[in-house]
Amino acid sequence: MKGLLLRLEPLIWLIFGGGIMVGTMLLTGWVAVVGIGVPLGIFPADALAYDRASMLGSHLIGRVVLALLIILPLWKGAHHTRHLSIDFAGGERDVLVAPLLYGIASLGSVLAIVAVLRL
Amino acid sequence: MRPDVPAHPHAMQPSKPGSTRTAPPMRPAKFPAGGNYLRYMLFDATGIVYMLAGLVALGIVWQLGNGEAAWAAQMQRLSNPIYVLFHLVCLASVIFVGVRFFSLFPKAQPPRIGPAKPPPAVVFFVGLYGAWIGITALLVAVLAGGIF
Repeated sequence: MKGLLLRLEPLIWLIFGGGIMVGTMLLTGWVAVVGIGVPLGIFPADALAYDRASMLGSHLIGRVVLALLIILPLWKGAHHTRHLSIDFAGGERDVLVAPLLYGIASLGSVLAIVAVLRL
Repeated sequence: MRPDVPAHPHAMQPSKPGSTRTAPPMRPAKFPAGGNYLRYMLFDATGIVYMLAGLVALGIVWQLGNGEAAWAAQMQRLSNPIYVLFHLVCLASVIFVGVRFFSLFPKAQPPRIGPAKPPPAVVFFVGLYGAWIGITALLVAVLAGGIF
């Protein structure tokens, strides 16, 4: 498992870097509107009415943006959480922690693609 | 946490013993909340927030695919103070990560990229912050109903 993780490290770093850069850029606006602005009434609820949300989400650009803002933060999160675990609990548990976190990110990535294809 | 106690002595163990004897790794005295470690650990800890944000976003998009009633219920759930509080923490985290990472970016450049020198730090600064502000403004305008 340690060898596999080392071989996958360049690929994981690529998606992790994308998560920090692109994920951060996409999450800022998403969180500001969907997570805070509309629920607190700062933006009109009609902006995310079903018909409009469905129209935006089912557009090709919408699908790509939604997939990226799910997948990239998942991988950024998995990699940083793994290193948080190594910093606090050492490397011995990494053979369990890393596959668990990357497994969640992988499953979440597959589900994200399915989710945007369903729109 | 005592700095004089070796922390996880096998954490950085090489696969084969080296010819040079080395002291067991020690946990630094200021770890995890002193000096620069606080920001370093907070940067790592944003990973938990990002992972949860990705999973929450997945749930939101999934419900959109489930139809109008499921979407309305999802929007109702997002008004729950726990969700709002989480998203406030999330917004603080993404701003912290963005500012820290984009400040680090120019410093992490190699002396040369092929035959050319990397551009000056101000180019990275303007490019990265410009892209971040531009994408955020566009996304807010689209999602909040300003355009389209």
